[in-house]
Amino acid sequence: MLSIRVNGEERQVPTPERNLLSYLRFDLGLTGTKYGCGEGLCGACTILLDGQPLRACMTTAGSAAGGSLTTIEGLASDATLHPVQQAFVDESAMQCGYCIPGFIMTAVGLLSREAQPNTSQIREALAENMCRCGTYQRIQQAVERAAGVQRNDAHERHDSHN
Amino acid sequence: MSDTTATTEDGLRIVGEVAQGFPPPPKSYARAAYSNAKPDTQSATWLIVRPDGRVSAYAGKVEYGQGIRSGLAMEVADELRVRLDAVDVLLGDTDHTPWDMGTFGSQSTARVGLQLRRAAATAREALVELAADKLDLPTGELECRNGRVISRADPARSVAYGDLVAGKAITRDVQEDVALTPRDEFTVMGRPAPRVDAVDRVTGKAQYSQDIMLPGMLFAQPLRPPARKARLVDADTKVAEQLPGVVQIVREGDRIAVLAETDEQAEFAAKAVQAQWREEDGQPTNWDVPDLLRRTAGEPVITQESGDTAEGFRQADAVLESLYYLPYISNAPMEPRAAVAQWEDGRLTVWAGTQRPFGLRAELAGHFEIEESSVRVIAPEIGGGFGSKSIYPVALEAARLAKAAGRPVRVAYTRAEEMVFATFRPAALIEVKSGFLDDGTLVAWEFTAYHAGERPFIGQRGSQTPYHLANVKVSVSSSESPLREGSYRSLGGAVNHFARESHMDEIAAAVGIDPVELRLRNLTEPRFRRVLEAAADRFGWSGAKPPSQRGVGVAIGLDVGSYVAACVEVQVHGSEVTVERVATALDCGLVVNPEGAKNQMEGSIVMGMGTALYEAIDFQSGRLLNAGFTRYRVPRSNNAPKIDVELVGDPDTPSTGAGEPGIVPVAPAIANAVFDLTGDRVRELPIQRHLRG
Ligand code: FES
Ligand code: FES
Repeated sequence: MLSIRVNGEERQVPTPERNLLSYLRFDLGLTGTKYGCGEGLCGACTILLDGQPLRACMTTAGSAAGGSLTTIEGLASDATLHPVQQAFVDESAMQCGYCIPGFIMTAVGLLSREAQPNTSQIREALAENMCRCGTYQRIQQAVERAAGVQRNDAHERHDSHN
Repeated sequence: MSDTTATTEDGLRIVGEVAQGFPPPPKSYARAAYSNAKPDTQSATWLIVRPDGRVSAYAGKVEYGQGIRSGLAMEVADELRVRLDAVDVLLGDTDHTPWDMGTFGSQSTARVGLQLRRAAATAREALVELAADKLDLPTGELECRNGRVISRADPARSVAYGDLVAGKAITRDVQEDVALTPRDEFTVMGRPAPRVDAVDRVTGKAQYSQDIMLPGMLFAQPLRPPARKARLVDADTKVAEQLPGVVQIVREGDRIAVLAETDEQAEFAAKAVQAQWREEDGQPTNWDVPDLLRRTAGEPVITQESGDTAEGFRQADAVLESLYYLPYISNAPMEPRAAVAQWEDGRLTVWAGTQRPFGLRAELAGHFEIEESSVRVIAPEIGGGFGSKSIYPVALEAARLAKAAGRPVRVAYTRAEEMVFATFRPAALIEVKSGFLDDGTLVAWEFTAYHAGERPFIGQRGSQTPYHLANVKVSVSSSESPLREGSYRSLGGAVNHFARESHMDEIAAAVGIDPVELRLRNLTEPRFRRVLEAAADRFGWSGAKPPSQRGVGVAIGLDVGSYVAACVEVQVHGSEVTVERVATALDCGLVVNPEGAKNQMEGSIVMGMGTALYEAIDFQSGRLLNAGFTRYRVPRSNNAPKIDVELVGDPDTPSTGAGEPGIVPVAPAIANAVFDLTGDRVRELPIQRHLRG
């Protein structure tokens, strides 16, 4: 039987063709990773495979076998939130919160590729995910905070047009 | 969960009238729409102070992104003088929370908050009395601070709330006339605070109905008709029955569902059912809707009338007539509806992310012909809804299937099912005819709206003009709806505002006056003037006659008693419109939770931007052509504008809503900005489809 590391634990894959999102949510009970579209479009199902973001809905458990997965449940260590999680709390970057685990995983992936992304890199990376509550400004600010980006003044973009 | 309502439990329990928080809806349409607008009990537990010092507050509302849990916790913490993190708010559980009509309409939320404040203030007074006994001091010498009752004269003499109630089971009634904390003594309300449920949301612990799993639970995949109004003629389930994991195929009349051990097995087997459907011919397409709206219009309802518009048009220097059209759009919350149902000894429990747990309980009890007390509905966290989750068909499906299977059953919509089987903001066609003087003063206003669907309260919302003039006639008719219409943020408010506020800009262009100035010239209500001036100021608005080629636009609005204005700036490249920034001002009276209110405003703006630029439901032969995010575009982070929100309400004015009003000025402000930049007046949404480019 194939095995896979999930949040540091070795797990068995029941059948290689099992959808990875269903496997995580229903077989392992890791329901922090969400279903939003099942078509690779919304990013609610984003997890990390060997540190890089992956849409769980678009792949099988078998194809991730041998790799190391991190889900939102595996991000915080003990009682300490991951800096990206903490930044989302500090910026109140959430409404219903359904999209938030996916955004956090995307942001963690970005920061591991690019330790000091600029505002437009963050904006483009986050465009992979969808928040129907429209919390984008706060999400952007949370990721900037986690990345240590200097906060833009509210009128900066306006001034730049004049 | 422990039974927190057992009356033998230790602690100080505050009970109060249920109806106090929820006067029955005044209009018969609300009764008709939400059939069970009647509480089942007279009184309920609103608040408990527990022996460990923690406070539990109960409300029948649900959390679907609006931050209600934080808002209510702040009200209780302030009245009871405890830390925000000492308050647990329990929501939306028909076994444990006070009856509630449903989470919609911001007024009822404000009333629940007030009832909880009264309950908390009642508890505070009771604790002072208990402490007076214990410390042997007169109540007048005591005050409450940080979870303790303290002697004013000698702060060393104090007692913790928990110690006052330990080993006792005390019950008090909410005092309706209890003295509430005056505003200038608030230390929690009105200040920014992190959300009380933030950590659960960033760690994945928050449970939504999609996440509920029970031991022995089966996954269901009901057979869905391929088109609207399609009838099942015949179905052969033999192949499907033999597939791995399939436990049962349930057939009740026209309905067939596969129950399997996993979600994928259920889906796969449902596809293997050989079904024949009879479809209904001649169903309208989205292109037929404007014509259909006029052709099938019912008796118009006059929502505003004064003076004589014919006389007004005679006095006018100029008359302008325009026609506006808004298509059907989808709420498309990120979480598709899901429900899990379980029967145990004739008692039904359903987890469902509905806005109306008590309404759903009544529906389920009615369907199965059992007492309401034999049904428990629990609304977990809800992944958005924007009004649409009052209707929650998967709950009954799950309950029926669980009954048939004798095991817990989960029914969850896919994204496509969510879009097809949910409701839509109905399409509308709106004619506006205005008469005005050369200086832009309005003298006559006729607003004739045709909204799709049988729920007149949707189309009537926000149809009245807030501008000051003598001759007005506003009428709204309901027309046939080829799609199922339902609630959406502000109902038809944003729809009517699009026509009215676009038209105001057309007048500004016709007379050559700055659009902010034109509005101020016709507004007398000070709250309106204040939000408009605040938004313009914040934006750095400088007056010019449109089109000024700068790409700036403005609109104002009134919804659920809150006043709002928005100024936007756009850029256009080909047919791609980018909203660069938005400055908005809201007057919703007293603000309990300013971060929450701003967050809602920001979300409303992004949502309104989607309706303005991208969103429209296309359909043909009873099929949705864009049921999914490939073809139904919604805003993403790289489309989102820079948003600046100012709250300008007077704290002595009662709270009105902050969740809905933000959307009403957005689409017209964007259309006005597009006109200002390009000279192209787009009267039909979404703009990107209709811009000449
Ligand atoms: S659920 Fe995987 S991208 Fe939407
Ligand atoms: S917070 Fe609701 S979808 Fe993002």
